[in-house]
Amino acid sequence: MAVKPFGLVFFPAFDWALTPTHPEREERLLYTRDQIVEEGLLDMPGIREYKPRLATLRDADRVHIGVPDIASHITDAHLVSAGGAITAAEAVIKGEVARAFALVRPPGHHAMRVVHGTRGFCTINIEAVMVEHLRRHHGVRRVAIVDTDVHHGDGTQDIFYHDPDTLFISFHQDGRTLYPGSGFTDEAGSPPAIGATINLPLPPGTTDEGLHYVLDNLILPVLEDFRPDIVINSAGQDNHYSDPLANMAITAQGYASLAAKLKADVAVLEGGYSIEDALPYVNTGIILAMAGLDYSRVVEPDIAAAPRGLTGGARAYLRELVAKQTALWRDREPLGNAAAAKAGDFWTRRRGIYYDDSGISEQQVEKLRLCPHCHGYLTVASEAEGHRCGYQSAFAAVVPREPCPTCRQGAKDAVLAAKRQGKYRHYIIQDKENDSLERV
Amino acid sequence: MLLGIDVGGTYTDAVVVSGGKVLAQAKAPTTHDDLLHGILDALDRVLAGVDAAGIRRVALSTTIVTNAVVEGRLERAGLLLLPGPGMDISSLVPERPWLLSGYIDHRGRETAPPDEAEVAVACRGLADCEVFAVAGKFAVRNPAHEQAVAAWLRRYAAPAHITLGSAVAGSLNFWRRANSAYYNAATWRHFGRFARAAQAAVAGRGVTAPLYILKADGGTMPLTTAGERPVEAVFTGPAASVLGIMALAAPRGEAVSLDIGGTTTDIALWRDGAPLFAERGAKIGDYPTAVRSFWLRSIGVGGDSFVRREGGRIAVGPERRGPAMALGGPVPTVSDAMIVAGAADFGDKDKAGEAMRLTAADGESVQDTARAVLGAAADAIYAAIENMIDERAAEPVYRVEDAVRDRRPQPAALVGVGGAAEGLAPLVAERLGVCCTVPAGAMVANAVGAAVARPTIEVTLRADTAQGYYTVAELGLRSALPSRRFGLADARELAARHLAERAAAAGIPVADVESVYDEEFNLVRGFSTTGKIIACRLQIKPGVFAVEEGA
Repeated sequence: MAVKPFGLVFFPAFDWALTPTHPEREERLLYTRDQIVEEGLLDMPGIREYKPRLATLRDADRVHIGVPDIASHITDAHLVSAGGAITAAEAVIKGEVARAFALVRPPGHHAMRVVHGTRGFCTINIEAVMVEHLRRHHGVRRVAIVDTDVHHGDGTQDIFYHDPDTLFISFHQDGRTLYPGSGFTDEAGSPPAIGATINLPLPPGTTDEGLHYVLDNLILPVLEDFRPDIVINSAGQDNHYSDPLANMAITAQGYASLAAKLKADVAVLEGGYSIEDALPYVNTGIILAMAGLDYSRVVEPDIAAAPRGLTGGARAYLRELVAKQTALWRDREPLGNAAAAKAGDFWTRRRGIYYDDSGISEQQVEKLRLCPHCHGYLTVASEAEGHRCGYQSAFAAVVPREPCPTCRQGAKDAVLAAKRQGKYRHYIIQDKENDSLERV
Repeated sequence: MLLGIDVGGTYTDAVVVSGGKVLAQAKAPTTHDDLLHGILDALDRVLAGVDAAGIRRVALSTTIVTNAVVEGRLERAGLLLLPGPGMDISSLVPERPWLLSGYIDHRGRETAPPDEAEVAVACRGLADCEVFAVAGKFAVRNPAHEQAVAAWLRRYAAPAHITLGSAVAGSLNFWRRANSAYYNAATWRHFGRFARAAQAAVAGRGVTAPLYILKADGGTMPLTTAGERPVEAVFTGPAASVLGIMALAAPRGEAVSLDIGGTTTDIALWRDGAPLFAERGAKIGDYPTAVRSFWLRSIGVGGDSFVRREGGRIAVGPERRGPAMALGGPVPTVSDAMIVAGAADFGDKDKAGEAMRLTAADGESVQDTARAVLGAAADAIYAAIENMIDERAAEPVYRVEDAVRDRRPQPAALVGVGGAAEGLAPLVAERLGVCCTVPAGAMVANAVGAAVARPTIEVTLRADTAQGYYTVAELGLRSALPSRRFGLADARELAARHLAERAAAAGIPVADVESVYDEEFNLVRGFSTTGKIIACRLQIKPGVFAVEEGA
């Protein structure tokens, strides 16, 4: 068989938990381990298992602005999890395997650019750390991330919101009914990157049929059009009908055929908390589908409990949603130009971010310079209050990849000016071009 | 006195060991068409000066099962699988299986019952089979379905033997258990015939001691037990040599051992005086099985390896074209190089010199050529060792602690046994930068290993306190837990009791019990702990009866 094998990084972190009874605990991938070991999947000639490497603090600093620093928020488990994602991606980039799945924990897609603590079980964004590692060390440029977790991938969206080279598509249970309460269609990227963020809020109870309608009619055509160097699946498994934290109706077969159609180069596990009834079957189905093997026999024992079909109202809603987001994609250039013209030299956004796991409320002001020559520098002013940190604040500037001299200087000047005013505790310059995180 | 017999590719070796000393040793040519013939020949020679009545135990390391597999002398076994929902392994097993309904889930709960009518139909389709293998997914968590199918098989067919997957191995991996069960059933009759003949023949020599068979994991099992579990006797040759090393010169800390024979070198890695095991089990042919075995690598470099130049460079093995030219062989070999280099002293030195002249480059002395040949052989072995270490370092880990405390194994010593060890092992050790030991008795290490291998047996206990039951897969046992407050220590204690039971049934003395694996998880439902999942495996440690150094 001349076909390249499928790569699997399996890291269940059997000695790590957020808290003993938290959904994100030691037991979470136990039954998945039992299932894939029992199936003999790890012995299949077409499947190669990799040991996760440890990501470095530098890998994390390339993406995040930790306050006061990233090291004080993370444990070794986060570095292994992000490192596992990097291991999987590198196996693909080096051509050792055709595709790879990092079945790792803890997850990461709710971790935003600025990190004051843990939100949505996430502290660092393992996909983003992986993507920026690939850009830095393997010359990858155009990246597509499809987030199939039931929760909006708000952290990943935040990190790539101004980056036209990263297409981020997230489908999720409607944010009016589920954490983190975001991911609506009007969140579409800042002016230089409008359309590179596409949100698909789905009604609770959406079945395989509804999901595949959105996949076939929007996600796959947009991916085809974007022509990415690499496709990443942020693979949460909590759209499953048995998941205790959400209200969707996707089956293991629905997930497996999604993986087969999406043909992601790298999948990275995110959420999924139906640890006994869903994860063993969904993960087995995805592994088989990604490896190009027959997954048709992977069926949950209680499949009779799965809701079927789609109501007329839901069908009409999905049709409308797909039409709206198709128009966004088609018209992204004029929409971007119009938004830029309206904003002037700087695009500004103020918002509050809540860290549910850490009990922290953050207020943030982002300013993006709309530059005709490069992606523009970004400043973030952040103030956070919460029971663990007391009060924390920071002012940071981000120098983009391939910056123009004006933006490089502008970023530095903005931080120095803020420091002179002395309103914040920490002053940071994250330089994507020189791969450095500097405290001023 | 302990008597050990090792059936090798070329010679069958026999030794008598007592009080830690090798009292007698003998060699006879291996008779491939009838192994027993060569075994008895070696036995007669070793017993020549020994009182047969004083032999306490006879242990045999035999290739009988391996040969049956390699030569395709397998009996067709009916294979019945209960795969449930999941991956379809129908095309990945050695025989087209009959797929049956019925599913046990990962917690050992029945989610769909098996169907008697399907078994009846399968029996009609398998009318020409007399031996059967039955394997069900998650049967190690609940063997009820496998047992039900076996009972129906007895009703609808006239089975001479049935192997249950859960009885061959207590660990998860349905595919490996299915393959193991199949090979066990398919070699059962062949092995039984051999075992009975061996027992009768040994008794005929006046040896009344019980006969044991060596297993791939270095333990021994009484012939009576072995008759039901022949698959465990595959790959016993390399296991014997590893045990021989353990008896003669067990290396401390991290180490490498080499058994350098005529055709191949078997490499093992060691930690703290014990060889490492293959994590999941051995492969038989193309099929992964659950048969526990040492982790060994065999490469085609040995004393008889064919030596020549290819594109100016010296090439060694993997082919063997006969013995050394010094012993009348047709082509230059590694042994010829050893004789010329002064690392061995046998055969016709002039012929060995001629062999090196045939291999020499223009203007190169025969001594230089001999050194270059040995260097090339040592390089090949060294590369294989490095490769094994890399592979070990790349073994996946499932805990943060293990991922962070990552370290590449670093052998600090090398032990060599086998016919060509004197000449090659020191050169390999030099490349590794470690010290080298070639113990006395190295030439018959395999037979010594068989003689002194201790019997071993294992049990895997898994408790689910939320459901209030536990299983011991190897015993086909599933019963209620004594109490709901049940922890890892209780599990170990209970496992030890079952291990003692199982050992007694197999006629094995209980000593040196070790825990090879354990795991404990809280079951949390909602936001409170509802129970624990506890798993532990205990075994009687594979090892050797003491043999003094220099024996």
